[in-house]
Amino acid sequence: MGLLPFRGADSLTPRARDDNDNQNNQNGSQGKTAIRGQGRPFRTRGLALLGLLGLLFLVMACAPDAKQSTFGTAGPVAEQQLLLFNVLLWVMVAVFILVEGILLYAIIKFRRRPGNDELPPQTHGHTALEITWTVIPTVLILALGIWSVFTLFALDQPPPGADTLEVTAVGHQWWWEFEYPDADGNGKYITTANELRVPVDRAIRVNLRSDDVIHSFWVPKLAGKVDVIPTRNNYMWFQADETGTFYGQCAEFCGTAHAQMKFLVQVLPQEDYLAWADGFGEEPVLTAQAQAGQRVFQSTGGCVVCHTATGSDSPQVVAGRVQGFMTTETGIAPGPNLTDLATRERFAAGLAEVNRDNLRQWLRNPEDIKPGNYMSERASIYQTADGRVSLSEDELSSLLEYLLSLK
Amino acid sequence: MAHHAETGHPTGHAPAVHAEEQTTTGINHRKLLMWVFLSSDCLFFGSLIATYMVYRGQSLVGPYPVDIIDVPITTISTFVLLCSSFAMVRALAATNEDNQGKIQFWLLMTAFLGAIFIGFQVYEFNLFRAEGLRIDTNLFGATFFTLTGFHGAHVTLGIVWLVALFFVARKGRLGPRTALDVEMAGLYWHFVDIVWIVIFTLLYLIGGFDTGPSATISIDPSVLGFL
Amino acid sequence: MATLTDVISRPAGQSGLWSWITTVDHKRIGVLYGVTAFIFLLFGGIEAGVIRLQLAVPDNTMIDPDTFNQMFTMHGTTMIFLVVMPLSASFFNFVIPLAIGARDVAFPRLNAFSYWVFLFGGLLLNASFLTNQAPDAGWFSYANLTEKPFSANAGLDYWALGLQVLGVSSLAAAFNFVVTIVNMRAPGMSLMRMPLFVWMTLITSILLVLAFPVITVGLIELTFDRNFGTSFFVPEGGGDPVMWQHLFWVFGHPEVYILILPAMGIVSEILPTFSRKPLFGYPVVVFSGIVIGIMGWAVWSHHMFTVGLGPVAVSVFTITTMLIAVPTGVKIFNWIGTLWGGSIDLRTPMLFSLGFIALFIVGGLSGVSHAVAPSDNQQQDTYYIVAHIHYVLFGGSLFGIFAGIYYWFPKVTGRLLHEGIGKAHFWLYFIGMNITFFPMHYLGLNGMPRRIYTYASEFGWDNLNLLASLGYVVLFVGTLLFILNLVVSLRKQPDSGHDPWDAPGLEWSISSPPPVYNFATIPQVEGIDQYWITKRRAAAEGHPITEPEAPVDVSTIHMPSPSYWPLVTAIGTLILAAGMLVDVGWDYIRFPIPFLGGIIAFIGIVGWSNEPAAAEHHDGEHGDGDHAIEHGATAVMDRPGAARPAVRLLCSVCGNRMSSDFRFCPYCGGAVENPDQANDEEG
Ligand code: HEA
Ligand code: HEA
Ligand code: HEC
Ligand code: CUA
Ligand SMILES: [Cu+2]
Repeated sequence: MGLLPFRGADSLTPRARDDNDNQNNQNGSQGKTAIRGQGRPFRTRGLALLGLLGLLFLVMACAPDAKQSTFGTAGPVAEQQLLLFNVLLWVMVAVFILVEGILLYAIIKFRRRPGNDELPPQTHGHTALEITWTVIPTVLILALGIWSVFTLFALDQPPPGADTLEVTAVGHQWWWEFEYPDADGNGKYITTANELRVPVDRAIRVNLRSDDVIHSFWVPKLAGKVDVIPTRNNYMWFQADETGTFYGQCAEFCGTAHAQMKFLVQVLPQEDYLAWADGFGEEPVLTAQAQAGQRVFQSTGGCVVCHTATGSDSPQVVAGRVQGFMTTETGIAPGPNLTDLATRERFAAGLAEVNRDNLRQWLRNPEDIKPGNYMSERASIYQTADGRVSLSEDELSSLLEYLLSLK
Repeated sequence: MAHHAETGHPTGHAPAVHAEEQTTTGINHRKLLMWVFLSSDCLFFGSLIATYMVYRGQSLVGPYPVDIIDVPITTISTFVLLCSSFAMVRALAATNEDNQGKIQFWLLMTAFLGAIFIGFQVYEFNLFRAEGLRIDTNLFGATFFTLTGFHGAHVTLGIVWLVALFFVARKGRLGPRTALDVEMAGLYWHFVDIVWIVIFTLLYLIGGFDTGPSATISIDPSVLGFL
Repeated sequence: MATLTDVISRPAGQSGLWSWITTVDHKRIGVLYGVTAFIFLLFGGIEAGVIRLQLAVPDNTMIDPDTFNQMFTMHGTTMIFLVVMPLSASFFNFVIPLAIGARDVAFPRLNAFSYWVFLFGGLLLNASFLTNQAPDAGWFSYANLTEKPFSANAGLDYWALGLQVLGVSSLAAAFNFVVTIVNMRAPGMSLMRMPLFVWMTLITSILLVLAFPVITVGLIELTFDRNFGTSFFVPEGGGDPVMWQHLFWVFGHPEVYILILPAMGIVSEILPTFSRKPLFGYPVVVFSGIVIGIMGWAVWSHHMFTVGLGPVAVSVFTITTMLIAVPTGVKIFNWIGTLWGGSIDLRTPMLFSLGFIALFIVGGLSGVSHAVAPSDNQQQDTYYIVAHIHYVLFGGSLFGIFAGIYYWFPKVTGRLLHEGIGKAHFWLYFIGMNITFFPMHYLGLNGMPRRIYTYASEFGWDNLNLLASLGYVVLFVGTLLFILNLVVSLRKQPDSGHDPWDAPGLEWSISSPPPVYNFATIPQVEGIDQYWITKRRAAAEGHPITEPEAPVDVSTIHMPSPSYWPLVTAIGTLILAAGMLVDVGWDYIRFPIPFLGGIIAFIGIVGWSNEPAAAEHHDGEHGDGDHAIEHGATAVMDRPGAARPAVRLLCSVCGNRMSSDFRFCPYCGGAVENPDQANDEEG
């Protein structure tokens, strides 16, 4: 009893095979060979064409020019990461084509033809095959794995002996603050916001801090992301091989305006960078209107509560403000340092270009540009019935004049 | 070879109406359920203990364990709980011997010793509160009260169970044929007891002298995976 | 205490709503799970629709950021905890006892309890919408964004408590299925003769048993942080938000295998059936499932590659994660081995199974590219991950589940699902899912982060986003077709017979829908694919099997009786959890309502444990809790002992036609008419 063709050791018993043949014969077929031969012709050419089209699509949709593309690398860290990914990608494409190809082939070849009722040969396994398809992937994977471990260690720190510039990026809900403990090599301390200026061809070590929740610092073209965690002193490094503007974005979900927590990295020629660092915090030239604006800015309860526009905030000021804000229930941080605002390309964490119209819109109601931001939420001038600014048109215009002369 | 049922049921268990419950493995369903539940509970306490260990010595403000933990007193309550396990063993033995008087006595004794343990815990919690340690005081308070609190809740549940069994026993419904009812409670009770031994060792004997952040090593949770 | 149960009479109804509310029949509970989870699938799908609509064009202002955040949070949470897990549970319930030749699960009332708690957990989670406080921190809700200062409204309390309740349900069900599978197999069904689906269910259940307590602790700590002022994850108090990540992913990674293994089990049943060939390398497939289950515990930090764990830890997790591809690959290759040389019949269940393999490979391969930490640093938290998620979860789990629905539907209802609509459904899903999710690979690699409610045109993501949103429309139509198929098939499809696919599993040897007692005689198992063995032997002996096992007089078989107590206990559990949302602010007891829930649950448990498992006492052992399959009393549904050939019957309520001799419709409980007697129009 029970020696019929079900899976297991007994598949090897002679009776099992007999019964199997019986079944086939009962149904009037000619046995295994006949079934094998029944497959439809395999449409190689059509498939090859399809594959080619697929590959074309694959290559086409990688858009290295896109502003945040991980394919358009501009520095060694991102390059290494892309290299690893590219190799992986092609291995995966190969595995994909192979496995899906065999799958498709099997489906087409072994389709049941109408009226075909006989039982195919009842195979239960094939030890050699099974060992093969366990060992090959294992070897492949270990090889890739070991290589990635090497890359991992290589990318952990800037190359030894490199002349690194150290900056600190502080994540706030929902903007970035950048501190340069030693911006010009002479110990100049700078705080700025939302636009990180760095010299080209120099390793930059970024220390990552957060005052509130977890953010993630990511400039796709320069380096993969590293999380910014309140309890951890994380760091990352990158180096830009070409000058230009690079786009970055907070990658860890951090609340309402996570989508708009962007920033720019301005890679400058060495001299330009030094010029900026040296000039940072110099008295701006103010017209009369701008001076009126400055008075609004500095009035009690005005912008100075959160912003500085006269050089770097001392660490004590920053800490004091953070303290002040964090002890309120909402735990928000102070606002961006506006000292070099007029020299920046964008404001409000990479959202809007710096120009009079945009700034006016921002000052009228920051909600229009960035829903949920803490400026309109907290600044007393916006605590009006409709959430619009309580300043007069005059005050606004002079404020704008002032902001635009901050260089 | 590989295709032999591990326990043969030559007749099958089809309409075996009044027979002993037949199971594939021979282990009673409820007993197996209890084992599966306990394995789950292991992970529950394991996670609570892991939190405690990770945050050991990380409290920013006092009181720290060294200020508060009283090892001798808890040694006594630990001893009481150990004794209750012994009482539980006796209760099961009595059930198997069908000694009704002893069943009731030992069940009640187990519950009573468990209650003493809980009494100690209530006393300890109140003392700690008086000395300024509440659940929201620091990490020590949070991890300590959460871990020992959930353990205490387990013991309390066990006491309720034992008392319920005591009432069942009073009706004379416990005996060798229903020994499983007692055995189940026993499994649970011993488990809770063993968990306490672990807690006592880690929180009192080893962690009882911890102080603030600088003094002790912290464990990075990511290394726990390789233990 | 016993008086309590004496006063309240036993539920006795056999039809209508009450019979469903008090049912302990695993088949009915399976149907309840399935229907409920399917409705949640529509919820989750509509939430996905809102996401896709918002992202269809750049700078869209259709919904505000907070609503968007609620959408993806509830979409992810719903799809994982309220759709894929309970749909799998629906198959566990319906199929497992049948597949192992048992009369029910080991603890039928615990089973009913699991269902009710699942339903209530789902409702609690979704109730947050009614108060406009839906959770909005993502499906893994990273601390410390979830702490009171940053998430002041009750959203995350709903989330934590809802998941806690769902955890109770999952654990109860997992306990039940471990015991059922280990202990209730038909004689002769050794471990290595268990159908693959049973194996994968066992592994899944063990993973659940071990993984859920970890998230339970995480959620307790989060709840304490939010309500009792602790600082488990609050940096200011010395806590570490990264600890939450560890707790979540120690649960979360095994969880993704909890989501995929049942689907793999389903597919491993279907491929042999429609290839008419036993599963290739059965022991290897089983073993690789076990290996996946074990290795799944050693990889959780691959979700944390960007956290800064240091290169050593990251290396270890890179390698362990990559190695999981090996056992998974082994499964894929053995499935292809099963197809090879077979006689492949491309019916809808088979199409979905093949679709599963094809799409899961894509998701698995992108998974391997995440596993390589340096390249993951560019991928993490981008749409590339979203693409991976949906290839493995939609293309994997959900395709496997739909395969299972098409496969077992005739067993559940006695009707086949309509083949034409089914195929259209498959192709819409297969094509639609590729249109929706394939572009996301590029979006991610071209720098689009996930969880952003809007994006600017300047980044070049417009076209592919629009394409993805169009794909959603295809999926939407596909889903509608499936609903149509359900309706049409229940009313119009002919009788499926007991074994429409010539399938190998024991469940196909009994009538469709199965009688309450499942098997009149518990089968004797001689090998894997027992029903093939039986059928082929019978055919060889010249009397092929065309009829299911003949029904017997149900009063000779002892089945557990329906019970109110699981429901009472579940209601208590719900109140216990939901009560935590109401802080009355009293000095000593800030949360009084949970005590009420606790008391109700306690009453439920007391009633439960004092109630004999079956309605009529007989003098068997008392106190033998729940399991009374072998020594209970009368059955739920009273079947007249009429013999074959069965008359055709029509449900007066839902129109289901059934072949066997039911007095009540097996899935709506309505009374049944005999159209042959009523009017003789159908020949
Ligand atoms: C059904 C659920 C499911 C399954 C089965 C998997 C399977 C896998 N997953 Fe996935 N994963 C998720 C669900 C799932 N995942 C979800 C939901 C997330 C996101 C969570 C969130 O952030 O919201 C995630 C995220 C996720 C990450 C984190 C990414 C990040 O956030 O940065 C990683 C990283 O390693 C990963 C890896 C893998 C791997 C290696 C597998 C492997 O098991 C895959 C193995 C399969 C194959 C490899 C294909 C078949 C094999 C062959 C054909 C053999 C030959 C192959 C080779 C030689 C390579 N997954
Ligand atoms: C099983 C799991 C599963 C499934 C099936 C799906 C299905 C879908 N998902 Fe989802 N998804 C996740 C799990 C899943 N998802 C997870 C875990 C996340 C991460 C969440 C997070 O970040 O926290 C995510 C995130 C996620 C995102 C990213 C959001 C973001 O990061 O901002 C997107 C974006 O497009 C998306 C889209 C879709 C779409 C279009 C579908 C479609 O396939 C949906 C198809 C369904 C339908 C089309 C149903 C149609 C409805 C009807 C027909 C109803 C008719 C009405 C009546 C009868 C009343 N999903
Ligand atoms: C309650 C604190 C607060 C006050 C008061 C306040 N701001 Fe702001 N401001 C912020 C915050 C916070 C941001 C960052 C918003 C964001 O991007 O999410 C900001 C951003 C800005 C920006 C964009 C800066 C950048 O780097 O992108 C400008 C310009 C600005 N504020 C101007 C002003 C002016 C002018 C006033 C006075 C009329 C003012 N703010 C008052 C908090 C404040
Ligand atoms: Cu900061 Cu997202
Ligand atoms: Cu994972």
